[in-house]
Parts: sequence; C-alpha cells; structure tokens
Amino acid sequence: MQTEATLAQSDVSELDLVKRCQAGETEAFDELVTRYRTRLFSMIYNMVHSEQDAWDLAQDSFLKAWKSIGRFRGQSSFYTWIYRIVMNVTIDWLRKKQVRGGGAEFDDAIQLTEVDPASKTVPKKEALPHEAMERDEIRGRIEKAIAQLSPEQRAAILMKEIEGMQYHEIAEALGCSIGTVMSRLFYARKKLQNLLRDVYENV
Amino acid sequence: MKTFEEKWTAWLDDQLRGRELSEFEASLPDKAAAEAEKAEAKKLGELLKRELSAHSLANEEFFSHRLREKITRENRAAARASDRQTATSSRWTIPRLLWAGAASLAVFLIFTVAVMHEKNPAEESQYLTQILNARVDPVVSPNATVSMFEVKQDRVTVLWTEGLQSLPADYAAK
Repeated sequence: MQTEATLAQSDVSELDLVKRCQAGETEAFDELVTRYRTRLFSMIYNMVHSEQDAWDLAQDSFLKAWKSIGRFRGQSSFYTWIYRIVMNVTIDWLRKKQVRGGGAEFDDAIQLTEVDPASKTVPKKEALPHEAMERDEIRGRIEKAIAQLSPEQRAAILMKEIEGMQYHEIAEALGCSIGTVMSRLFYARKKLQNLLRDVYENV
Repeated sequence: MKTFEEKWTAWLDDQLRGRELSEFEASLPDKAAAEAEKAEAKKLGELLKRELSAHSLANEEFFSHRLREKITRENRAAARASDRQTATSSRWTIPRLLWAGAASLAVFLIFTVAVMHEKNPAEESQYLTQILNARVDPVVSPNATVSMFEVKQDRVTVLWTEGLQSLPADYAAK
C-alpha cells in the first residue's frame, strides 16, 4: 500500500491528469491508463476468470471512463471512481452472462456441500513441473470457489483482500453502504472458508 | 446499530476499537472458536492475495494502443455529432423559430382576411344607385321603369331600363 505522503503526491498529479483529460488531452488519459491498466485488468480477471473477457471488459471500462470523465468532480479519488466504473461494467456483464447461460453459477442458494472440497478442478498438465502444477490446481480451486459467490460478494472480497481497500472505498466503488459491504464480506468469507479450508490449511 | 455480520467483519479486520470491541468480545459465546475462525479468515486473505494478485496484463502496450484507437474513433464520432448539432441549431434557433412562426401566422391572417373580405356580398354598385335615383325622379323620367336581374352566384346583375329620359349627370359610365 502507498504511504500517505506518496498517496497525497500521486493524488495531486492524478488530479492534474484528470483536469487535462477533461480539457480533452488524450495523452493525459493515456498516462492514467498506464497507471491502472494492470491493477484493473487483474481485478476484472479475478471476477470473470477469462483473459479475453477481462481484456475486453477493461477496454470497455476505460472507454466509458474517458466518455464520462467530464462528470468527475474530484469528490473521491480517481481510482475509486474508475473502480466504480469497472465494477459496474463487470457486474453487469456477469449478470447478463448468467441470464444468457440460464444457470445459477453464483446463486447464493447453492449449497456449499455441492462442491467437493477435494475435487480436482484443473486438468493435470504433464509438461509442467510439480510445483507449478500444484499452484495451477490451487488457483483453479480458488477461481472455482470465487465463481460460487455473487458478483457483488466477489467484488467486495477481492477489493478487500487483494486491493487492500477500506470499507468506505469499497462502498463508494460498489455504490452501496458500508454496512452492505461488511455484510457481503461476512458471507463471502464464510463461503470461501467452507470451500477452501483444506487449501489454506495445507499450503 | 450494527448487525452481527457487520460487527463480526469489523472484528476480523481489526476495525473494532475500545468499548465496541470489548462489548463484542464479551458477547461471543465461544471466544476460542471465534479466535480460531479469525485466524482462518486471515489465512484465507493471505491465500487470496498470494494466488490472485499477480495476474499480469499481457501486451500492455497493445492494450493502450487499442484503447487509443477507440478513443480517437469516439472523439471523431462525437465531433461529427457536435457539428451536426451545431448545423441544425444554427438553422433553427429558438428566436428564429419564433420569428418564422409569427411571420407564418401573420401571412395566414392577412390571407384569411382578404379571402373573407372578398366573399362578403358585394355592396350595391354605384351604377345601380344612380339608375335607381334617376328612376325615382318623376321630373326627369316620369314613366321610367327599371328591372333588375341578379345572379348572385355568378355575381352578375343586369339592369333593364325603359322610359328613362336621360341618364343622370353624374352617371359614371357616360
């Protein structure tokens, strides 16, 4: 995480970049994209578990941000603002995908017992060394477990655990109350603990 | 008033302080089990951070390049739309619309008044008045008779006079 000093410094220059974007300078926006593209892509990938989809969604999110940057008033940090766009785009996409698929991939009613915690979810890759295989398997287990969460729970747990965001930042990014964020974290953790207990206990 | 879920989450993330912390811990039926679960949650968080945070974006420069292209297209489209908007608005500004409306209304009113005025029954012709005056003057024409045939539809009036001694001095058609 950034220290307060570096955060303040980066916020000042970030605000400057935003103002230049609002004046129509695409180079300034390019700079913001360079700063956030990897973090946002990684976040989206962890939500959708597909590189191609994550790439497209990241592009859509940045394009949407460019189109609406004139409405950014600096009441929150730029990265919270763009996270909100990313979350809206990604959660919307996940919801549509669920409707198209007709399934209940992240239905909260799914029983935790439906997933065998010991099940192998990633095929073995003979060419990879043992450690890499094991890691792929763990990653596959985690992705499968995260896929059991609702899009909002996924977003909350990933922003908290991976990005280290504060409750109020997550709430801003998801457009909900802090209480709702805490509640989503509670249920997301419970579910993930049930699904991944053997993984984090044995790693 | 925080719900249990909110307090539990805050407790796991070490966000409870002072009296709120002591009250919450005192309310836990099994503190040891709760502490074990807290430790598990920490392990889960560490696992997620370790396994999921290192997903890099391949072809970063290509990503930015594609985005720049899309933004350029977007800007062009926006500029075209803006031009169209400007062209349309310069042709039909609100004052111009008002003036055009007022002028149209004025032309309509003038036309309507003119047409209605023409359709009013024609006033009595000055010739008819003069002839009738001549007939009723017994000094000038004591035996004069005047017959009048009028077809209003065709706006034609025929005067048939007999015994008229002379035309009036001011007769317009003399």
